[in-house]
Formats: sequence, structure tokens, C-alpha cells
Amino acid sequence: MAVVREKGYAHWDGSLAGRRFPWLPITRTGIRLAFRKKGFKLALASAFLPAFVALGGLYVSERLEDFKGLVQSNRALLKIDPAYFQLFLTGYPLYFILIVVLSFAGAGLVAEDLKHNALQLYFARPLSKRDYVLGKVSVVAFFVILLTGLPWILLVAFKLIFAGNLAFLAAYPWLPLSILGQTALLTLFFGSYVLLLSASSRNTRYVIVLIFGVFYFSSVLSAILRGIFRSPAMILFSLPENLRQAGAALFGGKLPHAVPVVWSFLVLAGICALAVAVLARKVRSVEVIK
Amino acid sequence: MTAVISAVKLSKWYGNVLGLNDVSLEIEAGITGLLGPNGAGKSTFMKLATGQLKPNIGTVAIHGRRTWNAPDLFRTVGFCPEPDAFYEDVTGFEFVAGLLRFYGFPKKEIGERADRALDIVDLSKDKDRLVRGYSRGMRQRVKFAQAIAHDPEVIILDEPLSGLDPLGKRKLIKLIKGFKEEGRTVLVSSHVLPEIEALTSRVVLLHQGKVLAEGDVPYIRELIEAHPHMISVRSSDPRRLAARFVGDPAVLKMTFGADGRTLVVETRNRDHLFGGLTAAVVESGIEVEEISSPDDNLQAVFEYLVGK
Amino acid sequence: MSIEVKDLSFRYGKIVALEGVTMRLGEGAVGLLGPNGAGKSTLLRILLGFLAPERGEGKVLDYDIRRDQALIRRAVGYMPESDCFVAGMDAVTFTAYFGELSGMPRQEAMKRAHEVLFYVGLGEARYRLLDTYSAGMKQRLKLAQALVHDPKILFLDEPTSNLDPTGRAEVLELIRDIATNKSIQVILSSHILEDIESICASVVILNKGRLAAEGRMDDLRAIRYSLYELRIKGDEAAFRRELEARGCRVDETEDRLIKVYMPEGADRMDLFRAAVRTGVQMRSFVKSRTSLEDLFAGVVGVD
Repeated sequence: MAVVREKGYAHWDGSLAGRRFPWLPITRTGIRLAFRKKGFKLALASAFLPAFVALGGLYVSERLEDFKGLVQSNRALLKIDPAYFQLFLTGYPLYFILIVVLSFAGAGLVAEDLKHNALQLYFARPLSKRDYVLGKVSVVAFFVILLTGLPWILLVAFKLIFAGNLAFLAAYPWLPLSILGQTALLTLFFGSYVLLLSASSRNTRYVIVLIFGVFYFSSVLSAILRGIFRSPAMILFSLPENLRQAGAALFGGKLPHAVPVVWSFLVLAGICALAVAVLARKVRSVEVIK
Repeated sequence: MTAVISAVKLSKWYGNVLGLNDVSLEIEAGITGLLGPNGAGKSTFMKLATGQLKPNIGTVAIHGRRTWNAPDLFRTVGFCPEPDAFYEDVTGFEFVAGLLRFYGFPKKEIGERADRALDIVDLSKDKDRLVRGYSRGMRQRVKFAQAIAHDPEVIILDEPLSGLDPLGKRKLIKLIKGFKEEGRTVLVSSHVLPEIEALTSRVVLLHQGKVLAEGDVPYIRELIEAHPHMISVRSSDPRRLAARFVGDPAVLKMTFGADGRTLVVETRNRDHLFGGLTAAVVESGIEVEEISSPDDNLQAVFEYLVGK
Repeated sequence: MSIEVKDLSFRYGKIVALEGVTMRLGEGAVGLLGPNGAGKSTLLRILLGFLAPERGEGKVLDYDIRRDQALIRRAVGYMPESDCFVAGMDAVTFTAYFGELSGMPRQEAMKRAHEVLFYVGLGEARYRLLDTYSAGMKQRLKLAQALVHDPKILFLDEPTSNLDPTGRAEVLELIRDIATNKSIQVILSSHILEDIESICASVVILNKGRLAAEGRMDDLRAIRYSLYELRIKGDEAAFRRELEARGCRVDETEDRLIKVYMPEGADRMDLFRAAVRTGVQMRSFVKSRTSLEDLFAGVVGVD
């Protein structure tokens, strides 16, 4: 005999399970919301341009004879070694690209939730503060890895394919590790930096201004201080310079500044610590009910 | 009775959006409730009546004087708006006193008036705290205080009870009723109909920018022909009671309640039915627990006139 | 009993938020009342599993309020008072998202989101962006996200605020349906006493951090057996004389409500007989009960 279902509320006969990563929906949603923003896809596509340029450089360097005419004077540029990778992975262009993409994808991560009081909905779920932060940070991590680690490991692979042998890897066996290290550094830094700023305001546009502003202002500040005090230690005030120092250390290259690299790492770690502190204060589960 | 607030063919629109459409109203002294769904035009009417907006067509006047561009009219009108908009960095006292300055009271009097108003709304002990630190209910009360501090004759209140706890509401209701005793004119708007009912039985119902109904709630109910009156009787034997009325042509519909004790009768002729009911109870000896008119209230009137 | 707590206490610094609250909540919808600052929000935080009490213990749905807080939050739905949404999403995505965060598998959450959105009356609008929603729709959306994971307890905080009269009536009807027909324990916190009266079977009144009253609505609102409130049409003076002759005390309030105090052992049918004798129609006849408002005022002790 058929059962007649009444219109109205029906109970759900499934069961609610704890999943291993309860914060995954937060990450997935954050990524999806980023893609829905106007212009984001274009920005993301453009962000891969340097990787393609690097790829082109790799190819050309393999087929130097074919391009002999073109590259007479630029021989030095096409020497493929860790410095080549370091050039692309620790320079201002990359930082700029990341900042642009993360403005779309990351600025509103916490700011929007603060503005629209969504935190109370999150924490009425079996979600801890840690889960929430992990979920949000993973959105930033996703895009950073997508734009740095992923393409660059692939580029190493391409280099090996173009060369037809593993000579490159044998020559620089720790290069992949450097790349991974740099990716981790950038992920940790930008994850902290973006979430720190996103949690500081309810206004996403203001956060975007902060993301650009604080980053580049720190450079300006350090230049001014260097002018006044004439000491290379002033570069510690500049976020991009600290990133470059740390990146250089990871690639075993020459440090761009005459300052012990451990200080740069400390500054960057300081940003992470600050982010943790700010998030702990702003993301309060207890305030779900006023 | 002469109208205190009178609107004649009042219309107001904002670009394409119609706020009020040809509204003519006369509001007398005493308490009048203003109701309607969202977007019906209540806030528009209030803003027009307090001179904050200029009518596109028609006029609105208080005691015969048009409200637009009449700044000294503010002395006789007090307005308690709905949204929560404050200067956060002043104390409650400063807030009320600051607004009083516009009315041209001498400085000493401003202090006294502000104190008195804050005392009336029970904020005396918090008057020197910053508004930033006030709870929702306190902010509501401070808004109310500024509306009455200058002793206006006409008081217009938009959702005055929102955010207050039941005791706060009770106090304010008593206060507003007191205004009526003093001969003032109060126009109150609220979405919570039982609260309006507690204040007055005189209402104006707006819908889509027009006046749907105006007057006493029972009077309005009487006029709604589309819906016959409901009379509910709870007794020990509803069916035997019903049997006595089945043959009566004045009875349009009878429904039995799920509790087995309630009988609801619909009729257009209440006089006839009530007359018969009282006699029927005595003759049949049925134990009656309760007699009531479930749709003789503001909520029902609202739903009948506006509801989908 | 879905909720049992004993001797709950909590302080924020020096401020005593809750002190020695003990109660058991079971069948039927429960109304939570109290003046502002009475401790309602603190109590809700503890019951919902956000806050551990300093002293005292309890269980919500058999989960301990200190140890099993996450489990409590899984089985509970919360409709907050303040506006909340996530920009850039439509209603289905929003509701499914929070269903997932409660632990539902993705597909299930999506299906349930559709069902629940229809139930709360947002079926037609479920694909529209939340940014375009009106206040009433946002209110229903809050209810939908509280129901999507089929909670066993539903906490509603001022569910009818910001709604126009039609919206209020509809949301109250929804809540009534949930409370009576769907075996979900509803706990309603509201300042609008009429809402609580029409939906809740029992109430809990807090004042200054303590339990001021708790019990079934009917028990608390003492029925005063000998007091009836009437409305009549007809010769009022004659009616009064009749009643007074029989030993009743008759008062009239300003809006023409007649209060009759009947003597010990009197038969209420006498009122009707008196009406028939004086040709008066009995139009309203109600046994007087303390209104919830009077109960509140009496219990909270102010005024």
C-alpha cells in the first residue's frame, strides 16, 4: 500500500557523522565564492603568465642552438639553475600577483563573516574555532600553492622532459625541496597576513586596501629608515624584503641584504603570531548569543 | 472633534517607488495606531507628518499648519524614529540635552527637561554613560526620552516598544496612555498588533500606499462583510448545543474543535445569535466554560483586509 | 526530559550571570523569559554547548554539558536574533552549506535544503541571492538553517522581530506546527508575551541570574475560580443588580469589561440565568486567569 506523504516538515532519517576534516566545506565554499567574483578568473589566469614565461625560458635554453641568433647577448639569462627558479619565486612580481589574487579570494574571508554576523551560525555547529580558522586559511593556502608550488614543481618536471635526462636533478637535488620550502613559507606568510587583515575590519574593500597598503608601505618605510639611519638592518621593516631574504636562504643563493637571515625569519614568524592573536580575539564563539 | 493631524490627498513617491497614494486622513487627539505590511507607507506618512519630507501632491498639516518647511512646528511635535541611529560618543544626558537646544529653551531649563525625560524612561542612573555602552532597550528608551523632552503636544512613535523587555513595554504603554489622559495626540506604529491593541482601539490601516481602513477596531470588523463573525463556545457538550442552532438560518457554518469541547459558529447576525445563545445555555443546562469571538481582534482584521 | 540542569552558575568577572539555576524541561514548547540582563543568553550559551558553567552540571539530550558540547551542537538548531547571512550565496547553497557543517553528507544536505526551504515558505525564492532578500525572508532563512539538519531541540531567539503582522502570524504558525506536530523540542526566547502565550506549554522566567519561576503555563497562571470576565449587550444596570442580589461583587473596567466575583459555591449558570432574566446577551464569557504579563511582573517583582 502506498504511503501518502503530507506536505510539511518531514524528519530526516540520516545520521550526522563527524567527519575527519569538519572544516572542508568552509574551504570549498571559500574557493567557490572567490570564483564567483567578477574579474577573478581573469586575474587568476594572468597570474599564471610568469610560469608560462619561465616555461618558455626553459624550452629556449634547451634548444639554444635553434635560437642562436636571438639570444647572443642574453646568454646569462638563460642559464637554468636554482637561481633561475629563485628569480621567479622570490621577486616582487610574484608577490604582486599573489596579493592581487588574494585580494579577491582572501580579503573577505573573515571580514564578511564579521560584517554579516555569520559567526554565530558557524559556531552553533559542532565546529571549533580551530576548525573555522583552518578552513579559512586553507582557502588562502589553496591559491598560494596553486600559483607557486604546483606550477614550479611541474616546471622542474618539464625541464627534465625537455632535457631528456635527469642531469638537472642530479646537479641540484635539493631544488624540489627549496621549491617546497618556499611554497610553505609563502603559504604560511600570506595565510597569516591575509587572515590577520581580514579579521581586522568588517569592510572587505578596506581590507583590500590594507592588504596592498601595508605590504608596500612597509617597503617605503624601510627605504625611508635606511635613508635616515644608513643601516641595512632597516630592511627588516619591509615585508617584501624579508620574504626575499628568506627565499634566498631557501634556495641557497646570495642574500640580497647584509643582514643575518634569521632575523627575517623571525619577523615573518612574528606576523604569524600576530595573526593567531588577532584571530583568537576576533573569532569568538561565545559571542554567538549576545 | 477637530482633527489634530490632517492629510488631504497626500501622495509621495521616490523616483519610481510609490510611498503614499492619495491619502486623506484625520487624526484626532488620543492614541491612534498606524499599521500595515512592510512598504505600506507608514514611515513615509510619519516623515511627512513630521515635516521631514515634502509631499509631491496634497498636504499634511498639524493644527492646520503645513508641516513642510515649518521648523518651529517641531516644538509641538515629538518623533521617535525606528532605526537605531545615534551619536555614539555622547552620554544619554548629552544626547537628549543636545537635541533640546534646537528648541530654543534656556540653558537651565534644558538640563531640567533632559533630567525629567530620562527619569520618566527610567534611565536616570545611566544618563552619564556613553550611548555606545547602552543595551538595545536602553537605546530605545533614550530615543523615547528625546521625543518627549520638549513636552510636545503631538507625539509620533515608530515601533517604540521594539527591543524592550516585557516590563519595559508595560511601563512605556502606561506612559503613552498617560499622554492620552493629558489630552495629547499620539500616533503609534507597530508590527506587533497585540501591543497596539493594548494602547488603543483606534487604528489606521495602510496598504500599498493607500488607506484600507480607519476607525475603531470593532467598527472596522463590522464592516468587513466578506468574513462572517466567528463565535467560539467551549462547553461540556458542544454537539447538543450545536443541535439547537442547526436549524437557524442565521448560522452560516459550524465547526467542532479537535478538543471535543469547542464549537465555532459563523454568522452575519451576531445580535440574533448571542440572544439565542444565552437562552439556549440556560434552557439546555449545558455547562459553558467560555464564550469568545476569536476574530474580533486587530490581527484578524489585519489578515482579512491584507492577508493573502 | 530533554534538558536537565542542576545548580548552574556562571560569572563574567565580577558580574554574576547565573546563580544556582536548576530545571528540567521536557514535553511541549518552552518559553524563556526575563528582563534584559537576567541571564537568558548565558543560560542559552551553556545549554547550546558554548560555555561550560563554573559550577553545576546538566544534560541536554543525554549529552553532558561540559564534556559533550560538540555533540550537543550537532543535535541542536539555533535561530539567532540578529541578522546573519553569507553574501554572494543563494538560499539553497547557504542552507546546504550549514547542513554540511553540521555533519550532513553533501548530497543529503542539498536535498534537505530544498525541502526545508519549501517548508519555511521560501520555495519560490530559493535560487535567488541572499543579498536580495527582504527582512522577512531573511528571518525565514534563519529558521531554515536551524532546521536543515533535523535537530532534536530548536532554540529560537526573538523569531518574530522585524516581521510585519502577516509575517509574524506565518512564522508563529510554523513554530506552532514544529512544536506540536513534529516532536522537536522548541525553546522560545522572546519579549513578546503574546507569542509565548500562544505557543508555549511551559515557561521559565529568569531574573537577576536566578530562576524566578518555572512550570506549566496553566499551573502558573493561576485560575481564579471565582472571577469571571464578561462582555454583554443590554441593560447593564439591571444585570448588575441581579448579580449583586445574588451576592456577587461586580466591577467594570474602562473598556466595558465586567468582572464578576462569585461567592463560594455559586453556580456559574446563575450568571446566564441572570442574563436571560434581564434580557441581556452574553457576548464574552471567560474565566479570569493571571495574564502572562501579570505573572511576569509579579515574579520579577518590579513595578
